[in-house]
Amino acid sequence: MTDTQEKLLQSLSDCVVDMDEDKATEMAQTYVDNNFNAYKAIDQGLADGMERAGKLYEEEEYYIPELLMCSDAMYAGLDILKPHLDKEESGDKHRVVIGVVEGDTHDIGKNLVKIMLETSGFEVVDLGRDVPPMDFVRKAVEIGAQLIALSTLMTTTMENMERVVEILKEENQDNIKVMVGGGPISPGFAKKIGAHYSKDASKAVQLAKTLVQEAVPC
Amino acid sequence: MYVLTIVSQEHPYPFAKGTSLLEILQDHGLMIESPCGGKGTCGKCKVAIIHGAVNPPTDEEVNHLTDEELLQGIRLSCAVTPSGDLTVKLLDDAHHKHAILTDGYMPGFDMDPLISKQVFDLILPTLENNLSYQALIEDLLGSPLPANDPSLLGRLPEIFKADQVTGIYGGDDLIGLEPGDTRGQLYGLAVDIGTTTVVLSLIDLTTGRELGSETAINPQKDHGLDVLSRIDFARRKARGLPLLQRAIVDCLNQLTQAVCHHYHVSTEHIYEITVAANATMMHLLLGVDPTSMGRAPFATVFSKQQDLPASTIGLALSPFARVYCLPGVSSYIGADIVAGVMVSQLKETHDNVLFIDIGTNCEMVLSKAGGLSSCSCAAGPALEGMNISCGMRASEGAIEGVKISDNAIHLTVIGGTAPTGICGSGILETISEISKVGLIAKTGRIKKKKDLESDERLKGLAQFVTDTDGKRKIIMDSTAKQEGKRKIPMDSTAKQITITQGDIRQVQLAKGAILSGVYALLELMALTMDDLDEVIIAGQFGTHLSVDSLIGVGILSGELRDKIRYIGNASKTGALMCLLSGQTRQTMEKTAKGIRYFELSTKDGYERLFTRCLTFSQISK
Repeated sequence: MTDTQEKLLQSLSDCVVDMDEDKATEMAQTYVDNNFNAYKAIDQGLADGMERAGKLYEEEEYYIPELLMCSDAMYAGLDILKPHLDKEESGDKHRVVIGVVEGDTHDIGKNLVKIMLETSGFEVVDLGRDVPPMDFVRKAVEIGAQLIALSTLMTTTMENMERVVEILKEENQDNIKVMVGGGPISPGFAKKIGAHYSKDASKAVQLAKTLVQEAVPC
Repeated sequence: MYVLTIVSQEHPYPFAKGTSLLEILQDHGLMIESPCGGKGTCGKCKVAIIHGAVNPPTDEEVNHLTDEELLQGIRLSCAVTPSGDLTVKLLDDAHHKHAILTDGYMPGFDMDPLISKQVFDLILPTLENNLSYQALIEDLLGSPLPANDPSLLGRLPEIFKADQVTGIYGGDDLIGLEPGDTRGQLYGLAVDIGTTTVVLSLIDLTTGRELGSETAINPQKDHGLDVLSRIDFARRKARGLPLLQRAIVDCLNQLTQAVCHHYHVSTEHIYEITVAANATMMHLLLGVDPTSMGRAPFATVFSKQQDLPASTIGLALSPFARVYCLPGVSSYIGADIVAGVMVSQLKETHDNVLFIDIGTNCEMVLSKAGGLSSCSCAAGPALEGMNISCGMRASEGAIEGVKISDNAIHLTVIGGTAPTGICGSGILETISEISKVGLIAKTGRIKKKKDLESDERLKGLAQFVTDTDGKRKIIMDSTAKQEGKRKIPMDSTAKQITITQGDIRQVQLAKGAILSGVYALLELMALTMDDLDEVIIAGQFGTHLSVDSLIGVGILSGELRDKIRYIGNASKTGALMCLLSGQTRQTMEKTAKGIRYFELSTKDGYERLFTRCLTFSQISK
């Protein structure tokens, strides 16, 4: 790796952490103009920056606005780099189906988790909000996902998380793991329904990584 | 069956195996706070296990309890399932004093109560005029008795022992009869049922005068502090709905007894009760299943006004008494908010007026010269002192005021005692102050201790910040600090009072939710913050939030400083006005129909708006 490439990678990572969308676009363009490998720019530049941002979030240094602005910079860079990816490099990721359970329309927490998962190399299919339990299972089976991630802010809709776990069992799909999070969710609740708990978006990534490692590849 | 013994109480409480300690305590009516409804997320239902076999501490307990607490046998009662006889000690003093707001601003209106009395001289039957009591009464009153009411017929023999009879009218309809002349005894009740507090006022319907009020903590709160927990309880728990209904009806009956006793009025002479409440409280009062309000699309079973005999829900008043439930709009914009809109005369105004009721759910209505639109946002319980590490309700020992000056933190504590926690208004003022003096950055992050120490302007305040492994806190309680040496507090109540980074984040979430709601409504009505002529703050919690802290935290912009008005418990005022005026009822019913509701969480770009509103800087549009 040349010095220039290494500097550009570092600078891409910094742009994300510094929430500088314009500079991220500019750096990604310079990188592409130099004909460097695009996959590396995503992996060791942008994704590295998001990982650092996630760490700052965990350390309470960053909060939701900062994390979202970091992701803006990351996606800006990604837009430039994506067309230059070699096919085989973009394939074969762990797949996750994510959404807010039926009955709830609050989705900011879910969106944060989605961003963090995407930047950590997961392929995320977002079903949005107010999603019936069956839809999660169908989509997960259809795309061969190893993981379903569920969110809710409302006490009254928590039971739909349990429904997803039940349906997976009924359909003999319980090799698909379920992770849950949101305001009213506790580790005890997750354990009770046979799901896995994560406290926030940053913890969700660590959990997802552990879960897919345990999972049998489809 | 096992037996539960409470320290300093003689009475043993039997319980079945497999029941959680929280449920056992609540089943026996022992007051214990459980804001999250026993989900293990709030950490407030602490008890000390003195003796007996229980499960080992769960993950939730390890999270919420300190090592010292665990060593002392302190546990969360929702996470404890006893496997034998048990002795526990209750930690929370349930007799903290609460100041509940009963009054507020009331606009002028003409008195015309629906209930009235008229007296008649009885004509007794004779051999020549051998008619039934019913026929005689109907002749005398010139109207038929309410049909198919054997209890009314049953009163006729008693009535015919007197010379006179008093007819009780609801509007033009005869609703009851009393022996003799009882015109001097004509009373009604105006009630506000809040999720947290209940206010009941006794009104003389002849003079319109409010004799007095009684207040209580809503007893349903044992089954969850917020409306969603209650909805969940009503649906999940067998007989949960009748249990919640019974709790609030019993509470109203007790308050009625108390206020009547105090003012020497017989409960028999109360003929109408008007109730303002949010939609969930209204459903529970009438024993109507609120489940549908707990999930999208958040449909109510009913929103319109209801008018029914008080006896049907078990209220012990005059046998003829009616209940009038004020009209609401939707699951979030309930009768309490419509009452506020009416009291604030939002429909009649020619100005741009914003009405905000601040609570766990924050509702707001914007009037653009009488055109009304509303929204609701999930502010969370932070502004009520919940979800805050040292948070507590506004009762004795709560820090309610905070000022930082001359490198010192000055506290005002309710009841003037040593502080035991911080209540909602205290939290807001704290964040406002630490933001103002620069202990936190615009992002909400507590500044590094070493950065503060090297800043000429801030180094005097660095002493209040602790910085351990990047987890920063601000120490609020100066008395604890003066003792100098670090020590492990053995008494769990004597802990150091601090503001953690997490607490600040909770307030940011609340602020972000409220401010984004304001901006969204303004945008919907094509207005800006500068166009607002007035901001009206209503409700129990809003009343305690000062203009300085509302602006200091950035919930409202500084330009609005002189345009903010507090109207107190507008919900009860609305109930009172409806009790005294049939005209007001009609206005209110019409107003309710004219309020547009707007769902925030599904608005395009809401996430961005919300996150912009999280920071402690004035946002520019």
